[in-house]
Amino acid sequence: MAEILQILILGLALGGVIALMGSGLSLVFGVMRIVNLAHPSLIIAGAYITYWAFKLLGVDPIVMLPVASVIMAAIGVLLYRLMLERQTKSAKYSEMTVLLTFALAMVVEGALGGLFTNTQRIVSPDYATDAFFIGDLFIPKGQLYAGIVSLTIIVGLTLFLKYSRLGYAIRATTQNREAAELLGVNVNFISVLAFAIGIGLAGAAGSLVSFVFSFFPAKHGEWIAMLMSVVVLGGMGSILGTVVAALFLSVIAAFVGAWIGATWSTLTFFVALFLILLVRPQGLFGEKPEMA
Amino acid sequence: MTVTLQQSTTSGVLEARRLHNEKLARKADQTRAAWFPLALMAVLVALPLLQLTGNYNYVLHMVLFTASYVAMASGWNILGGFAGYISLGHAVFFAIGGYFSGMILARFGVSTIVTAPLAGLVAAVIGYLIGMVTLKVRGPSFIISSIALLMIARILFDNWEFVGGANGVTLPVTSLPVLWAKIPYYYAMLAIAAFSVWASYRIKHSKFGLGLRAISKDEIKAESAGIDTRFYKVMAFALSAFFVGMAGAVWGEYITYLRPNIFLIMPIAVNLVLMAILGGKGTVAGPVIGAVLIVALNELFVAMMGASELNILGTGLVMALGLIFFPLGLVGTLARRGKLPRVLNWD
Repeated sequence: MAEILQILILGLALGGVIALMGSGLSLVFGVMRIVNLAHPSLIIAGAYITYWAFKLLGVDPIVMLPVASVIMAAIGVLLYRLMLERQTKSAKYSEMTVLLTFALAMVVEGALGGLFTNTQRIVSPDYATDAFFIGDLFIPKGQLYAGIVSLTIIVGLTLFLKYSRLGYAIRATTQNREAAELLGVNVNFISVLAFAIGIGLAGAAGSLVSFVFSFFPAKHGEWIAMLMSVVVLGGMGSILGTVVAALFLSVIAAFVGAWIGATWSTLTFFVALFLILLVRPQGLFGEKPEMA
Repeated sequence: MTVTLQQSTTSGVLEARRLHNEKLARKADQTRAAWFPLALMAVLVALPLLQLTGNYNYVLHMVLFTASYVAMASGWNILGGFAGYISLGHAVFFAIGGYFSGMILARFGVSTIVTAPLAGLVAAVIGYLIGMVTLKVRGPSFIISSIALLMIARILFDNWEFVGGANGVTLPVTSLPVLWAKIPYYYAMLAIAAFSVWASYRIKHSKFGLGLRAISKDEIKAESAGIDTRFYKVMAFALSAFFVGMAGAVWGEYITYLRPNIFLIMPIAVNLVLMAILGGKGTVAGPVIGAVLIVALNELFVAMMGASELNILGTGLVMALGLIFFPLGLVGTLARRGKLPRVLNWD
């Protein structure tokens, strides 16, 4: 029983971080129908910002989080303007953006690899290697803090989307781009804003990831499919769905890792992705099979 | 008042259509230079004679390497170019072909050059089965499912002890002298490449190819026009897997290793996509030109900066710029502007 509980706790803590990693992806897809395959590589870029701030200036990763997300958001605006905006008129828009963001992922991977080499790195503040003990159970502090921060950000994001005027506009654009434009929403601005928020979330996730997982530039390959499975299961565009799916899948992956073998734990995500796409492409919380 | 309807018999319609098709074919023949691929082929077949004058193994290797990518990109093009289903996971079939023939070589000593067609068939059958499942979704979903496929295959092969797991299998080295060691693989790969280009031409000009192109334009309309879209798509998947599998089979013996981190890696899958798209998706010459370009560019990058992360950066940049400025690819863009040189018009 204690073992099951222990695995559950570890799975949930990781799931919280994965939820934040996926939420930006989901938002960007929801508003702009862009499947951003570069998202994981931008998370790693955020992780490097945090890493160097910690290493050179000794800034705590959690303190660095807002800075990293602002830097990444600015990069997001630039990227959108440079390569994605002109695609909006393309007939094969969604496929083009998938390929373009994939190319971007390679550029980011190559640039980071060239700058910082492919050494595994991890930020190690004191709490990253510490844990709380409750009876037989232990909760790693790093993962717990990361999970809490991540869920806080997601709650904040949800509130922003639900109650602010810009949030209204973003949700309206998600639901129906043309209708939103007819009602006076500046969809272009909303698209840039949503993309910036999405990439900003990647930066924030990067700060948390930096002390939870060890990372190197080529690591994003693994994460693409992992995050995709989370986002697709949750229903592309649904933040709540992403959170639920992230918690659910990472708990399952934790059990698979503990009981069957660590190598098979990531397979959970890939197989899940495969199955969801085939059985219910719209995901748990998606409204209609938009991507199918 | 009586109205006389013009009698149109079935044979009359067929006759008219045949005449029309012939007219189109004649028109196409005027712009096509069929001699060019044949001449190119003749030069490549004669190329190993260079070995009599010195050691040109590097040249042969580059041609062989390019030929393997020509075969794979042309195969990919059947699904990705004609049918419009972009797969980022075709390295899986490269591995299936390589492992199938490679394991036969390791166990029974039969050369992969002999078993390559069989390896292609195995890849095609597996492609058919996978296609039955994944081709239910389209657009970005399909692309994502193909990435997932590659990831799943990588983990399975990494842990499959029968084929050596992550360490892979070492295959016997050929007993030929160094100068001539590459020749069998050279001709085998050249034959596979030529076969796949020829097949891709035949497919494009068949009813099947027409159906695929209809699917890529608008699947729902194609379906309502009476095309069995599901069967067409799955067949396209199987055919594209066939060529990739054949190339993989010979490649495995050529490099004498079977290892997941040689076969089942993203760069290979990406290269196929990149070559076909940069050259011209859905054209016959496109993947060939794309393969030549990318291999040359890659070699240049490696020569200038070493095989490093900068290589990935360069590939990504080329891909992004190509997609932004030449979304139809080199052949497609030139053809649209009416500036395609005759020697490159193979369609």
